[in-house]
Amino acid sequence: MGRLRAKGKAGAAKAYVTRTSAIKKLQCSLADFRRLCILKGIFPREPRSRKRANKGSSAPTSFYYAKDIAYLAHEPVLKKLREHKAFAKKLSRALGRGEWSDAKSLEDNKPVYRLDHIIKERYPTFIDAVRDIDDALCMVFLFASLPSNARLPPSLIENCSRLAAEWQLYVMHTRALRKTFLSIKGIYYQAEVMDQTVTWLVPYQFTQSIPADVDVRVMLTFLELYQTLLGFVYFKLYTDSGLVYPPPLDVKKDEGGAGVGAFSLQSTSQSAPSAPPKVRAVQIEGRTISGKDVRQAIKSMAGVDSEVDGDVDMQNPDSNPMEVDEEFVPQPSTSDPHSAASLTTLKALAALPQSLTTSLFSPYSFYLSRETPRPIFEFIVRSFGGRIGWPASSGSGSPFEESDESITHVIIDRPVVERADESSEERERRLRRKYVQPQWVVDCINAGKILLEEPYTQGKTLPPHLSPFGEYEGAYDPALGLTGQTAQESESEDEDVVIPEADEEEGEGQLAEKTALRAAADANDAASLRAAELAAEVAGVDYGTFEKEVRKSRKKSKAAPEDGAEEGEQDMNKMMMSNKQKKLYEKMKYSQKKKASERETLEEKKQLLQKQKRREAKAG
Amino acid sequence: MAAKRKQPSRDEDPRTEATTFRAPVETLEMLSDDEGPEEDAASDDGQVDEFPEIDAASDSEAEDEVDEEGSDEEDFEEEDSDDSLDRDIFPKPKTIISDITGQPKRVYPEIEPDYDSDSSTEDAPNRVGDVPMHWYDDLPHVGYDMDGKKVLRPARGDELDKFLQTVEDPSAWTSAFDKTAQMDRPLSAEELDIIRRLYANEVPDAGYDPYEPMTEFFTGKGKEEVMPLSAAPEPKRRWVPSKWEKQKVMKIVRAIRQGRIIPSKPKTASKLEFYAIWSEPSTSHAPPLPAPKPRLPTNSESYNPPEEYLPTEAERAEWEALDPEDREHDYLPKKHSALRLVPAYDRFIKERFNRQLDLYLAPRIQRVKLNIDPSTLIPKLPSPQSLKPFPNYKSLKFTHSGRARCISISPDGAWVISGDENGIVSLWEVNVGREVKRWKFEGKIGALEWCPRTDVSYFVVGIEEALHFVIPPNLSSTVLLLTQSVLAPTTLPPAPETPSPVKWVTPPTSSWSPDTAILTVQLPQSSGLPKQIAWHRRGDYMATVSSGGTQGGVWMHQITRRHSQAPFKKIRGAVQLVLFHPLKPHFFVATQQYVRIYNLSEQKLLKTLTPGIKWISSMDVHPSGDHLIVGGYDRKLCWFDLELSDKPYKILRYHTRAIRSLAFHPTYPLFASSSDDGAIQVFHSRVYNDLMTDPLIVPLKILRGHTVKEGLGVLQVKWCARQPWLVSGGADGTVGLWCS
Repeated sequence: MGRLRAKGKAGAAKAYVTRTSAIKKLQCSLADFRRLCILKGIFPREPRSRKRANKGSSAPTSFYYAKDIAYLAHEPVLKKLREHKAFAKKLSRALGRGEWSDAKSLEDNKPVYRLDHIIKERYPTFIDAVRDIDDALCMVFLFASLPSNARLPPSLIENCSRLAAEWQLYVMHTRALRKTFLSIKGIYYQAEVMDQTVTWLVPYQFTQSIPADVDVRVMLTFLELYQTLLGFVYFKLYTDSGLVYPPPLDVKKDEGGAGVGAFSLQSTSQSAPSAPPKVRAVQIEGRTISGKDVRQAIKSMAGVDSEVDGDVDMQNPDSNPMEVDEEFVPQPSTSDPHSAASLTTLKALAALPQSLTTSLFSPYSFYLSRETPRPIFEFIVRSFGGRIGWPASSGSGSPFEESDESITHVIIDRPVVERADESSEERERRLRRKYVQPQWVVDCINAGKILLEEPYTQGKTLPPHLSPFGEYEGAYDPALGLTGQTAQESESEDEDVVIPEADEEEGEGQLAEKTALRAAADANDAASLRAAELAAEVAGVDYGTFEKEVRKSRKKSKAAPEDGAEEGEQDMNKMMMSNKQKKLYEKMKYSQKKKASERETLEEKKQLLQKQKRREAKAG
Repeated sequence: MAAKRKQPSRDEDPRTEATTFRAPVETLEMLSDDEGPEEDAASDDGQVDEFPEIDAASDSEAEDEVDEEGSDEEDFEEEDSDDSLDRDIFPKPKTIISDITGQPKRVYPEIEPDYDSDSSTEDAPNRVGDVPMHWYDDLPHVGYDMDGKKVLRPARGDELDKFLQTVEDPSAWTSAFDKTAQMDRPLSAEELDIIRRLYANEVPDAGYDPYEPMTEFFTGKGKEEVMPLSAAPEPKRRWVPSKWEKQKVMKIVRAIRQGRIIPSKPKTASKLEFYAIWSEPSTSHAPPLPAPKPRLPTNSESYNPPEEYLPTEAERAEWEALDPEDREHDYLPKKHSALRLVPAYDRFIKERFNRQLDLYLAPRIQRVKLNIDPSTLIPKLPSPQSLKPFPNYKSLKFTHSGRARCISISPDGAWVISGDENGIVSLWEVNVGREVKRWKFEGKIGALEWCPRTDVSYFVVGIEEALHFVIPPNLSSTVLLLTQSVLAPTTLPPAPETPSPVKWVTPPTSSWSPDTAILTVQLPQSSGLPKQIAWHRRGDYMATVSSGGTQGGVWMHQITRRHSQAPFKKIRGAVQLVLFHPLKPHFFVATQQYVRIYNLSEQKLLKTLTPGIKWISSMDVHPSGDHLIVGGYDRKLCWFDLELSDKPYKILRYHTRAIRSLAFHPTYPLFASSSDDGAIQVFHSRVYNDLMTDPLIVPLKILRGHTVKEGLGVLQVKWCARQPWLVSGGADGTVGLWCS
């Protein structure tokens, strides 16, 4: 017998602490504890035995690892939070006493916590960080679309929309977008960044209001972390692909509603000559110099290249297809040797072999009709190398006008209206261009090829839009149509409907055929099969039907008795399973059955719909 | 009042202030005194009327009039003298021209501060003091005067006089009864005024002005103090620069010079600058587990899904009826014909929020996802086809009128006896199912058992409180003779020294017939129905378990000695079953929850097995004696390896209702169980001599054919000794023979 152990001194009782005791240990408020948990990524754990972890009590509590809490106790952010508490007291006292100058100096020296060490801690490698930015992107895109109020200062919204735009710029620049899905919840995008798939959801462009049962404090704490995380991730992504971070913002364009077009990407090769010190220099500059200064510096440098204004990455879109791949903000201008040189460096830096699918739209120019959401399609089309223009009502910064001759597709989302006063020029233009509905663009991306425009033309009923992310294995696939078993059944059902009529017509002869077929069905060995075949021939059954009948009957006979025997044996063997195995087995069987039933209901529905359609077609 | 008389520009002695304040206080005292004599009151009248007027005048004159210290002193004297003259009236001032200022001033008569000056003790002839006057109610006098003479009660008229007086005297309504004088006294003018004021809710004091303008004594314009309060010289610290302040300032100056304090720091702290955070090597810490990614959207979430994904009306209603937490999907698929028609998703923020709650509030468990085919979980066992023979069809059916509760098969396996609840015992042949003989007993048949000896042939029938030994018909003469000699020997063995409550009765030889029992063992009174009869393999000993009685209802009977004894003095729990070990002198006793193994030769407990069954219903021991199966009413079947453990080696639960009976085949590796669900389960049970190899149990066949009647199914199963055949008796009254 081992040493006697006192209860509660080792094991689960020591390894877990309840939330209340954690708060007591950290000497902070619940709100601060929550904030810390969010920032540090600490979450409750489920102990093996709740009773053992809670000293015999089975009250519903949440448990944390005692070590997690011990780490929290040394957290600099916790220290800052305590300082902030003291600061708040001091400030309120100063305000209460009317000591305005004291209050002001207190406010100026307010304790502010930094999160960079937490980012480094939570994501030790860059890949870890990229893997985990899904939620961050979703939040940033959501907050970029929210209206500002007392709880959400405009600076926050602005920062979120900047982060959102920077991400889109990066994705467009590296052609990282892979899949897009228009769902009822919003638009799902999937990009491949650093070999990690990043999926994010962007709401449709409507004003969202925060419901009452949502705690904004929690969301803002998450957002705080996510903003920092995204900042560092972008910095690394941009500098790795040789771009300046943050990309300078053109205030004038931004005010005109240019969206992502207001930012201009700049390669660092211009600002710093050699690669290794380049990062260093950028860092220093990024810290001290504002975007405006950078732009001015670049202007002065680029002043040598006579006509070029600021933007480095503009080329002639028509010069050659590879250049089209590389171009970012396509603007018609004459190419010059210097920009060509910058092009090569960009190419070298990007160094990503781009497959055909990433430059899917490069031969095409799109024009957005005014009712289509510009940010979505500008992002999608430009991520796949296409050129896109839009009317002024959708924002400024369109690279070309509606009358541009290079436009090949018009993305339009309204019913066809006959226009009486159409000039011949307009008519000619209309005939030359293809008018497609927005879904065509998304379906092309998901298919990885240019689909036929025909089913998607303006005013047509669209084919269903399917998820590019797929479903679980063995799920119902609407694209494949019905699977074997049910399809056959439906066939046979159809036949059943037909046969009685035929019976009445043919009468006697049919009877003989039937008996022959039945004989074939019953025949098991080769000899009797042969005999049955002969009998069928005599009865006048053609060989095809005979074969079919034999196959069907064989399948049936095989399926029925042998399966039955097997099943029986299996059922009996189930008795010998242990209780645990039995439960596991039942669970798995349950989920299988559920999946199968889901599939079946969908297939049944499809059959019904098909029948209905056929009936309508007959009637009509 | 007096204060108002002060000239604002003049410094005043506080002492004068105090004295001047006293005058009104005194008047107040006088006014409150209601003891004035009536003759005075009458003479006072005119002056009293004047009094408030003087008061008012003094108010209005307050600012013009000037007082002087000297005249104030006169004031006092005059007042006093005046007071002594006409007692309780306010002294009348005289207005004279001051010889100092040349202004007219009022001079009051000086007060003479002698003993008589107090007017309150002036007259009152009655000197009894403040005693309750009802003490004098019965006396002719009302008190005593200063000289100790009685003051006689004034004459008081009757009510009529009183009334006439009130009519005649005009001042009667302003007079009140004076208790000390025991007569009516008219109220003075001041008193009347006080009453009037009280009625009018005014301050009773006529001289009090509630709205006096504020008098500024020390503050206000022109009254600032110019002289210092203290004559101490100005301290040095008031004009020498502070040393400590200088030190503090110098500290800051030094800090600024050294650059520790930046005077105008730019406020850029709020903006976090980004840098290459991942350029430094990371710590050796393992990264925390990444949070699980949210589910990716499926086809049904599309804005334009295939039509089969759209919910029907029933599905929609079902979805809406569910709680939001119970819903499988948090959305209903919807089809929009164009992208421009897609509305905003109303639960977008809510869903984001829920995701965040999951991230920081939900406990995370890392689970290994089992991606296996469930059929691999089913153990691989040899096919039943390879384990033949075993019974798999019903070849015979024998019908009883009541529930066929007990069955026994002769040791040679050719005959079956079956007993039912109506007291009928039938003997029939296994091969053809023909009934050979039928016995009728009183009451239910509780148990039936054939003696295992092969040289003799008889069976025991247990009915209420008795065991009948019956010899079947058609025996060969040698066997019959031997049987008779065993059961009814000519010389009875000697009676045991201790008398037993169990009686062994043999009817006389003349009355022997095939229909009656050759030997009857009468169990003690109220022992109830023998539930079970268990034979020792030699056929000499027999154990019975009765439903009632003392000592657990267990009796051990020895045929040769015609003797019965109770093996247990007392036993814990109700005994359900007993069994003899097939090889060793061991005895199994199953109580409700435990199985105990006793060594009969050493008379001690060997082992207690705990099957974990709530209520044991059946038990059988393997022919090798090393394995035991125990079945319970809670559907469990436990296989014990007696060499291994006290705990079951395997627990099987496959019957849907209570297990009723279990039986090992004596020669074939088979066992069967029957249950109230009407099914009989046949198992292959191979036991190895090698201790390391676990016994192999393979389910072979489920035999169905008995119907469930009143919740009871198959009540007993028994194996034929030499064939893999099974006989089963059911609650539906049928006894079936199952052949291979």
